[in-house]
Amino acid sequence: MSDTASQPDASYLLRKLHSFTGVLPVGAFLAEHFWSNSAALVDPRKYDEVSRDLQTIPFRLVVEWAFIFLPILFHGLYGIYIWLRGKSNVSAYPWVGNWQYVAQRYTGLIAFAYIGWHLYTERWLTHGKSTYATVAQDMANPWYLAFFVVGILASSFHLGVGIWNFLCKWGLATTAKAQEAAGRLGVVIGVAFSFVGILIVLSFRLNWHPFAFYYINK
Amino acid sequence: MAETKKVIVKVKRQAGPNDPARREEFSLSWRPSMNVIICLRDIAENPVTRDGKKTTPITYDSNCLEEICGSCAMLINGKARMACSALVDQLEQPIRLEPLTKFPLVRDLSVDRQFMFESLKRVKAWIPIDGTYHLGEGPRVSPEVQAKGYPLSHCITCGNCLEVCPQVNEHNQFMGAAIISQVRLFNMHPTGAMNKRERLEAVMGPGGIQECANAQNCVKACPKGIPLTESIAEVNRDAWKQALLGWFLG
Repeated sequence: MSDTASQPDASYLLRKLHSFTGVLPVGAFLAEHFWSNSAALVDPRKYDEVSRDLQTIPFRLVVEWAFIFLPILFHGLYGIYIWLRGKSNVSAYPWVGNWQYVAQRYTGLIAFAYIGWHLYTERWLTHGKSTYATVAQDMANPWYLAFFVVGILASSFHLGVGIWNFLCKWGLATTAKAQEAAGRLGVVIGVAFSFVGILIVLSFRLNWHPFAFYYINK
Repeated sequence: MAETKKVIVKVKRQAGPNDPARREEFSLSWRPSMNVIICLRDIAENPVTRDGKKTTPITYDSNCLEEICGSCAMLINGKARMACSALVDQLEQPIRLEPLTKFPLVRDLSVDRQFMFESLKRVKAWIPIDGTYHLGEGPRVSPEVQAKGYPLSHCITCGNCLEVCPQVNEHNQFMGAAIISQVRLFNMHPTGAMNKRERLEAVMGPGGIQECANAQNCVKACPKGIPLTESIAEVNRDAWKQALLGWFLG
């Protein structure tokens, strides 16, 4: 490196890490989490089998901390720091991108608070041994139910916009046309995650298992 | 004789950065093709407010009057734009004029955009061609690069892209879209590319490209229609590649 020029500064590397962790592993974990929980759509027994498999993975605590808790904590806290360094002006310039900029911050905060509560109720209080029955019991509480729905929608929106941001910010979608396409991909991802998330909630709430006929008794 | 049509202009005035701000309203005679600069000139010719009080001419920057010098950017009805291309007939009245808010105020509508010039220097937004001896002909510029670079060369450093950017504010020294787009322009040029690494290191420095949060207001506000978000994405790609390779391979 030349001695006259400045090195990439820490804020550059942290910003890139923030952007990257949003997709990997946080976004990827959200996908895995929705996928695993979709087992409820098949059968409560299937759900408990999937849950038990996840609860008994080797190096569980290491995996949880390294790939789930710490990345979410970093992404959330650094995200709040980024928020504080911005100054929204959406009332003067009410453009779509500018609204997304604001919404990305609020949904991020909601998702972060929700995930904290969700971890406390479904991971901490159950000692990491949630079953279909414990989740269904929580979902019977209308306040819990409402917070689940809000948390799922906020996380899904945040991921959809985040994918768009990621593709733009890493120069993977550069032209206006490519960025529009990336935006549509973000919409598809956000809507798909919202849809699947709500189906899972309904499954617990209504004891509804649309794929029950898939189930094979072990 | 029919009464002439009037144009009402409301100007935020401030004698200096630390002086109190006040608003003055002016009533001007309408003329065809009138723009905001003509309003300000008419006020200078007869600096009397709407209610008949004598005042001073308004301080503002302007030069070319055809949207190529970049000096007359201001807030017109709350939006950052060039005063010379803001036609009175297309504006809601009273026309509210205020200085840009992201740059230090000089007086009235005039601001100091030195920050942008300093940023351009930081990223070496030029092509070094002078040597102590004749360097010979430079490499040819392909028509493709010419076609991509030409729109970027339209930047007039007006500062509208910084003004509308939520990431440019008192907590954040983000250099802004215009500067990053110039990095792309000069890195694209075969002679300019000789300093590509230095420019990329500068945009990864404090207040650099990492501060962009993709609100994409810049591209909407640019009076020259420069594809600023495309420039940011392109420079972003080059920057992280260089950071990664520099990091691992030195």
